[in-house]
This record gives sequence, structure tokens and C-alpha cells, in this order.
Amino acid sequence: MSAHALLVEPFETLAFMRAALVACLALALANGAVGTLLILRRASLDGDVLGHAVMPGAAIGFLYAGPSPVWLSLGGLASGFAVAALAGLLASDRARRDVGLVAFYLIALSLGVLLVAWRGSNVEIMRVLFGTVLAIDRAALLQIAALASIILLVIAALYRPLAVGAFDPAFLLAAGIRAPYGAVFAALVVLALVASFQAFGTLLALGPMLLPAAAARCWRLGAAASIALATGFGVAASLAGLLLSYHGNLPSGPAIVLSAGVLFGMSSILAGILRRVTPVPGWST
Amino acid sequence: MRDVTVRYGRRIALEAVSGEFISGSLTAVVGANGAGKSTLLAAIAGVVRLAGGAVNCTARSRLAYLPQRTAIDHEYPLTLSELITLGGWREFGAFRSPDASLRARVAAATETVGLPGKLARPIGELSLGELQRALFARVIVQDAAIILLDEPFAAVDAQSLSVLLDQVTRWHEEGRTVIVVLHDLNLVRAHFPSTLVLARRCLAWGTTEVALPAMAA
Repeated sequence: MSAHALLVEPFETLAFMRAALVACLALALANGAVGTLLILRRASLDGDVLGHAVMPGAAIGFLYAGPSPVWLSLGGLASGFAVAALAGLLASDRARRDVGLVAFYLIALSLGVLLVAWRGSNVEIMRVLFGTVLAIDRAALLQIAALASIILLVIAALYRPLAVGAFDPAFLLAAGIRAPYGAVFAALVVLALVASFQAFGTLLALGPMLLPAAAARCWRLGAAASIALATGFGVAASLAGLLLSYHGNLPSGPAIVLSAGVLFGMSSILAGILRRVTPVPGWST
Repeated sequence: MRDVTVRYGRRIALEAVSGEFISGSLTAVVGANGAGKSTLLAAIAGVVRLAGGAVNCTARSRLAYLPQRTAIDHEYPLTLSELITLGGWREFGAFRSPDASLRARVAAATETVGLPGKLARPIGELSLGELQRALFARVIVQDAAIILLDEPFAAVDAQSLSVLLDQVTRWHEEGRTVIVVLHDLNLVRAHFPSTLVLARRCLAWGTTEVALPAMAA
């Protein structure tokens, strides 16, 4: 099989492959920045919880209007914001907060599945849980592109306080800066997860956000370079995953997340070897 | 401060603490673990919510707060120069870039704490003592009237300790109000004119000779 047939032909001949690719690229742009900031804030678990928090609202949207991307997203946004606000009220004690977050996640997930199962079929439950990258229509594509653009513009405008708030939140507070950057960031995470929801479902939406960013963080670059690398990894994983699913006749969402996982595994191993070969003081493994 | 009370859930961390830090004073805050020392600083800095009472701070806008080092993410991808430049946040804020005079002050502060030549290093490559000196340099750049330091000498080597103590003394001489949480009572006796002894409530507050014996009692 020629390189052209392997790499280009699937996108050349099939419109749904092109739509899926464009959607994944738009998501990779937003996810690179959001995922990196999420890891720098050490809030991966919060991201996971918000990913599932989208579920009950999306399910209610589904009950109301069927599988329409707009209603799924509006419902998802509503319940995502509600859970983000509730999580903000949780105890600041780390261990108790973790338990609270996991409780939210389990409740949201089961509630969502029950709601969809009430009126929908098993196929629809699978769609909500794992997404349908290959069934993205024009409306969904526009919605993903719009959400990704909003996320990127907000991060570009607020990049500095968001990055400093991740590093030393008390510094901003003590300097008298009261703007709720933490809440703004939580809202951005919810937006990014809602954008991913249609393509990757509630169980996998965090994957394309967290795994490329985690892979990029292995290389210990500065925050901005990490975001760029995470975006690059996200694009590579999307391409590889879509081609893998096409040629191997596999489900595409899991294939993309798995590709990102492979990048993460390779990055942690290679960066570990590189650190051993060229030891730098202070680099702990 | 008037009846300052802070709760974490049901636990009362600080109860009805009242009193005044005189402008230009250098005060050590001592007490057993869990006595509410860090909470007191956080309350003055406005970082925790008060369950009761009020903190009245005339120079609220010119306050620098250095939390315990464990509150700082050592792995964060930030260079030493970026960390110290943050001290000028009030001047450049979220959107502008630091100007030449700020950069000169950053260089001077770095010199003062003995870290020149390491400006381009990521903070992850600094030793604990060096990181603490860097955080002091950030406070120098902040040029604050009120300086709050939470256990600034914990796990710091002897050389860094003398650099940091010199800086605290210099701030005091410059007429700034400095409040330091610390454990080493010998340091308190040697360098701090005033002491506040805390055990959730204020046990004693005054000159070090008078107040410090309450710590042993």
C-alpha cells in the first residue's frame, strides 16, 4: 500500500473522515492549552469529574430534543457549570475534597446513563459514553470550532494570571487581585469538555485533553512551550487515531485516545532515558 | 485586628485574636504546631475568609505575603528570573510587559540574595535554600510596606539563613512592618524585638523579653 493510500486517501475520499479530522484539530488546539493548565494546577481529577458532570445535563437535553448537538451541549454546559460551582464549595482539605469529587463523578455518570436509558436505546447510551467522532455533521463541527475559538481567545487574554494562579494562588490574592480566575478556568474546562463531548463521549472526553498535555509535560519545557507541544501531540494523536480506526476498522474515539496514551508512554520513557544520559541537578525522576 | 476568628470546617484555627502591629515593627509569631500561626498571616494577607472579626490594614495595597514553601509548586515550569519579576505584578499586571527599571530592580534583588548568574535556571533546579532566597528577592521587588513571612527559614542551609536574616533586618531598618512566623526561639531572642505567642488565642504579645516566656508556660 502506498503512503498516499495509507495517509491521504481516507480523508480525500470520505467527507466524514475530513469532518472528523477538522473537529479533532480544533479540539487539539483548545485542549493543548486547557490540558496543560489543568496539569499545572494539579487538578486532573477535577477535570475528570467535570467530564462526567456534563453527562446528566446532556442526557436531559437528549430527552428533550433527541440527539441534537445544540441541546446536548446546552444541557451539558448547565450541569457542568453546576457541578463546577458545587466543587468550588467542597472542603479545601485535599483528601476529603477528593472523596467529594469522586462522589460527584459517580453520581453524575449513573444519573446520566439512567436518564438516557429511560427513553433511549443501548446504541444511544454508547454514543453518550464514547462519542461519535465519525458522525460529526456541519452543525456540530461549527459548534466545536466556535467553542475552541472562544477557549483559545480567553486563554490568550488571561494567560498570565491563569498561569500565575496555578503556581502560587496566594500571591495573586495577597496582591489584592480578587478576580475569580479559578472559576474562569473551571468554566473553560467545562467548555472544552462540552466541545469534546460529541466526539469523544463523557468517558473519553478528558483523554484528548489530558494525555497530550501529560506527554508534553514529560519534557519539562516552559509553560508556553508545553502548551505548543501538547497541541502538536494532540494533532498527531488525532491523525494517527483516525487512520488507525479507518484501516483497522476500529472505533475512532478510543483509537485517538489510545494514540495519545502511546505518545504519553513514549514521552515518559524517552524523557526518562534522556534525563539519565544528561543529568541536570534538581531534575528528579 | 479585632476579634479575628478563622474556622476550617468545624475546627477553629484562630479565635478572637485582637491587637495591633505597630507600623515599622518587627514581630515574631511563635506557638506550637496547629496554634494558628500560618492562619494568622493568611488572615492578615486576606487569603483566608474570616469567620468573625475584622483585619484593618492601612497599607492593604502595599502588602507582600510569602506562604510556607510547601505551598509553592517547586516543579512548576518557571525560570528564576520570571519568579522574581512577578514581584512587580502591580506594575505590569496581566497584560503589559515589565519595563527596564523593573528589570534593573530584579537584577539588584537577585544580587542582594546572592543568586546572580542563575536567572535563566528553571526553579526546579534550585536547592530549597536557593528557592527561598529567590522568594525573598520577589518580596524585595514587591517593595511592600507590610511584609508577612511564613516559616521562611525552614530547611534552609546556614549560608542562606544568614542572607535571609540580613534581609529581614534591612527591611526593619527601612521602616517596613515585618511579621514572621518561626520556630527557632533562639533566632527570635537574637533578632526580633517583638513577639506574639499564639495558641489559637493570643497568649502574649509585646516585647520579646516579656512575651516569649509565655511560650514555655
